Amino acid sequence: MTDAMIEVTRLTKRFGDRIAVDHISFSAKPGEVVGLLGPNGAGKTTTMRVLTGFLPPSEGGAKIAGHDVVTDSLNARRNVGYLPERVPVYPDMTVREYVLFWARLRGRRDARARADAVIAQVNLSERRDTLIRNLSKGMRQRLGFAQALAHDPPVLILDEPTIGIDPRQVIEVRDTVRELGRTKTVLFSTHILSEADHVCDRVVILHQGRIVAQGKPSDLKRKLRPDATLEEVFLSIIGTERGAGK
Amino acid sequence: MTSWIVFRREIAQFLTTPFAYVIGAAVLLLTGILFNRDLNISFSTKPADPALVPSILSFAMVFFAPLLTMRMFAEERREGTMELLLTAPVRELSIVLGKFLGAWAYFTLLLLFTGIYQIILVNITAPDLGHALSAYIGIWLYGGATLTVGMVFSALTENQIVAAFLGMVALMLLWLADQAGQLFSNIDVAIIFRTMSLQGHFSTSFASGLMRAEDVAFFAGIIAVMLFITAQILESQRWHG
Ligand SMILES: Nc1ncnc2c1ncn2[C@@H]1O[C@H](COP(=O)(O)OP(=O)(O)OP(=O)(O)O)[C@@H](O)[C@H]1O
Ligand SMILES: [Mg+2]
Repeated sequence: MTDAMIEVTRLTKRFGDRIAVDHISFSAKPGEVVGLLGPNGAGKTTTMRVLTGFLPPSEGGAKIAGHDVVTDSLNARRNVGYLPERVPVYPDMTVREYVLFWARLRGRRDARARADAVIAQVNLSERRDTLIRNLSKGMRQRLGFAQALAHDPPVLILDEPTIGIDPRQVIEVRDTVRELGRTKTVLFSTHILSEADHVCDRVVILHQGRIVAQGKPSDLKRKLRPDATLEEVFLSIIGTERGAGK
Repeated sequence: MTSWIVFRREIAQFLTTPFAYVIGAAVLLLTGILFNRDLNISFSTKPADPALVPSILSFAMVFFAPLLTMRMFAEERREGTMELLLTAPVRELSIVLGKFLGAWAYFTLLLLFTGIYQIILVNITAPDLGHALSAYIGIWLYGGATLTVGMVFSALTENQIVAAFLGMVALMLLWLADQAGQLFSNIDVAIIFRTMSLQGHFSTSFASGLMRAEDVAFFAGIIAVMLFITAQILESQRWHG
């Protein structure tokens, strides 16, 4: 239990009387890549915001590397790298200044060396001195990765990292996620199911704030039909949920 | 340490933002024109006032401080970097302090530029340099305090224009607190207003060459309280997403 890098326990988040996340529990072990799947509004971003310490939970809780996100927030945050849905940037900074800023702010003593290493890792070395405002969307996404990796955290939380980039870059991002998953615990969200199928060790399917299924992609598929795709699993679950709800 | 990192980014931001230069130019232009006018008068009638430029600035900051701080949090929110700042392993107060120091450093730079006027003055008349120094220390603290008031409103609202407007209203009220106090027949209320008055802690003390501990404490207190409030606002906004 305690070796889980991400541990979510009956987590609930309400905005006013709307429940965005409804008593969800799941965990992720070191070196595991977990996909958080669900349609628009399912509660993926909200879950991630609680895990990164941006939003406090309404009920229940979560731990990152054993640190509670509420009572031990600074230590929990130290262990997370976060790539939000829309890559947050300072347009007037260069690539290097930007990565250096986050590396320093998150307490890296060797910030310069680390920034250069991370910039090389995401293939932006040739653009180190380019102003961020002049980067393409795909490059910005890679910069977002660099920022999340700046302090070399054991846990990565990536909110729809493949949204809005071209197919070739999508493949690159998937490779990156898989690569990172060898040494880090990765939680990433998407609503493209084939993507999760390719990359994840395990998936958690959210619908209207609740977990409707979780497990290995292969197991989930087998349960439905030997040759089922994850899409079919997803639609069948959400379909019955919706039917049951009415 | 965290504040230092944020400070460096903030000051770099000021030095690369055209708008900051516009404000800076406006401050220098305004003080320059008024200084020049006063100089012409003082040649013929009275000795030049060594606290002239700080006194002009004391009123000008009612408008300039909110303009300098209005983008401070709005821009971080718009670009989404606020989310990264608030998920970094740092405290809100360190971020707020770093941002304040950046703005204050920019203001200090502007003050240093107006120091040119004092050099001119030294060459023409023989002003009381102690008096001038006291006025400059006063306006430096006073400027810091007005910036923190601007920061509170920048943290409070997403809208830069609204933030600037509310900041100006608040500073105007603090500026006028002396007069506002007189509207109340109750003497205690009047005294409270009086002690809160920005002008009251500057024009009758620093600007007349008097450095009083209570006035230094007043501005330091405003700075500390406003920074604390700003950090609290950021913290409370987490709860509303
Ligand atoms: N700050 C907020 N205030 C009020 N409601 C919110 C807030 N943030 C999210 N919600 C609501 O919570 C629910 C879950 O939203 P969330 O952004 O977590 O979904 P998501 O799974 O990330 O969706 P998407 O795929 O569109 O990114 C939605 O109904 C949304 O409207
Ligand atoms: Mg989302």
